[in-house]
Amino acid sequence: MHDAMHDPLPLAGIRVVDLGWLTAGAASSTLLLDLGAEVVKVEGPNALDPFRDWVGAEAATDWWNRSPFYNFTNRGKRSVCLDLKDPRGAAVLLRILEGADVLVENFRRGILAGFELAPALLRQRFPRLVIVSISSQGEDGPDRDLVSFGSTLEGTSGLAALTGDAAGEPVITGRNINYPDQVVCLFAAGAVVAALMQRDATGEGAHLDLSQRELTSFLLGEELVAAAAGAASTRRGNHDPRDPAQQVVARQDGLRAEWSGGSVPVRDASALAHAADFTAGTAILRDPQGVPAKGLPFRFASNPPRITAGTSGLGADNHAVLAEAGLQEAEIAALEQAGVVATKPRRGPAA
Amino acid sequence: MDKPGPFAGRRVLDLSARAAQLPHALAVAMAARLAADFGAEVVRAPAEGADPLAMLPPLLPDGSSGLARFLLAGRSAAAPCEMRFDAAIGDSLALEGVAAPLKVRLSVFGAGDDPPMSELGLLGLSGILAAVQPRQGVPVRLGGHQGAYAAGLSAFTALAAGLRAGRPDTVDVSLFDVACWLNWKAAASVLLLGDAAASREQRGGWHTLPAADGHVCLVYMAKDWPALRDMVGDPRLSHADFATQKTRGQNLDALDDILRPWFVARSRAEITAAAQARRIPIGPVLSPTELLADRQYAARHFLARDGAPRLPLLVDGARPDWRRAEQELPADA
Repeated sequence: MHDAMHDPLPLAGIRVVDLGWLTAGAASSTLLLDLGAEVVKVEGPNALDPFRDWVGAEAATDWWNRSPFYNFTNRGKRSVCLDLKDPRGAAVLLRILEGADVLVENFRRGILAGFELAPALLRQRFPRLVIVSISSQGEDGPDRDLVSFGSTLEGTSGLAALTGDAAGEPVITGRNINYPDQVVCLFAAGAVVAALMQRDATGEGAHLDLSQRELTSFLLGEELVAAAAGAASTRRGNHDPRDPAQQVVARQDGLRAEWSGGSVPVRDASALAHAADFTAGTAILRDPQGVPAKGLPFRFASNPPRITAGTSGLGADNHAVLAEAGLQEAEIAALEQAGVVATKPRRGPAA
Repeated sequence: MDKPGPFAGRRVLDLSARAAQLPHALAVAMAARLAADFGAEVVRAPAEGADPLAMLPPLLPDGSSGLARFLLAGRSAAAPCEMRFDAAIGDSLALEGVAAPLKVRLSVFGAGDDPPMSELGLLGLSGILAAVQPRQGVPVRLGGHQGAYAAGLSAFTALAAGLRAGRPDTVDVSLFDVACWLNWKAAASVLLLGDAAASREQRGGWHTLPAADGHVCLVYMAKDWPALRDMVGDPRLSHADFATQKTRGQNLDALDDILRPWFVARSRAEITAAAQARRIPIGPVLSPTELLADRQYAARHFLARDGAPRLPLLVDGARPDWRRAEQELPADA
């Protein structure tokens, strides 16, 4: 996109195929979109992004298009609904990948291989493609198949062990944050941009294998160094050895975070959402229809943060994307007839 | 060292030593460390007074800073004068007068809005602190330097994008906006679902429970409840009080009272094995010391001999070593 107010974005012309689910996968792709890429989100009629079936998706309606958190996270992406479990669907994905630069996925390990779409095969077939696999534990190793959510990884990465009062239990962020799911997006997007720079120089794509657990431990790097030197830290609540004044304390106007240089309120969700500094910031922006949507964690002077498009309905871009991939209308119609290409799920919402 | 990395040939000025505030210094240093890990030549401008990162805890037995060893690895010690830079990372003041086509600028709220702020303050203002709530007592900060390091990740991605764009630009990274971006679900719940629904959403019931030899994270979704109930096997869990995610949220203390004895009687490994066999995403709370011997980390060569994590990324099945050779720390450093 280029106009008087906005320079071309850093990833202008880059095409991303997004198989990402929930936050870790889908929000990484959204960051690439915000950096200028075109993103095609591909889901299956039996394999929707679980965010489509979440709180606020009204059961009696086309619920799959009405999930607030799905729409919040996936604004601006094109949507294709394609059954990858059907060999005809997997074949169409390969056609789409012929014109793609980046593939983002965070399926359970082994799922892509089950579709005959293993990253190693894709690397051979599309040498310029940058594939990013985001997983709990990484692509290999003895624990690669352990089942985790983000907050499980707070435990297994060392973060929980260092979070909480000295005399109390370790504490995790829980459902609303799932911290490792959030931070991985910030890193994954940068790693993809770096891999594209490498490709700019060499012509070679790459398979990026990103373990959320490793990243969370990386963000505690000094504590691992200290542990290896025999000087491991322990939990100490809000205490800071360099600033004895630091504490969280109940005052007349509510909980406050205090330190020797200042003091701020401890905001809950409502206080945050209504705070002037939050509204003036970029974490949540509005789409062209005025609906709150995921914002940006940085602002380029050349491109003030903005959201240029709302959310596409499931499969809304089936025809356009498949035609761009070289399929004829008759082929697309046959795939629709067979249910391989769809615009609605095969099941109802979860109870 | 492997073949040249993605940032090979790019020179980046790290102004972390000249940051006026600690959260900014930590964020800048994290972004610069990653730039070095991706193959850039990173020059750290020396502090004009005391280096804010030189003696930060955790301290090692020799009195040096474990944080400095981790965070400042991979930098050139050369003085920056007379050098040409592709990018510079720092706070507003440190970046003034610096000639680099790309500037990545850290602040609390945005350029020109940079009041005194601590990492605890950032967590408090962004709502993250309120989400880290022990069963008793006040909310607690996340371990380590999460508020600052997350902003460092954002600055790194902005740096990569700016370098690829290859034109003069300034990118502002607000420590507050990044923390709010991480905590989006809290504010989005209020804005999209309303205050009442948002309050219900926060009652997830995920927390840690004591095991015989430490703690485990009790993490599960509604679909995992039957498996969790059957794993623990206490008939009281079939009561209507625990039938839905909503009622379990309303009866958290009673639920915990039933679950706790089962967990306390078993080791973390036993609990994890039983849960994983049922595909329940429960896992152990591991300490940094335990992670040094973790079999998954060992298999993937994630930690160096001195415990320092390597770049958390494998490329085509191998962990890359893109740091410029002359910037490598000596093996015994």
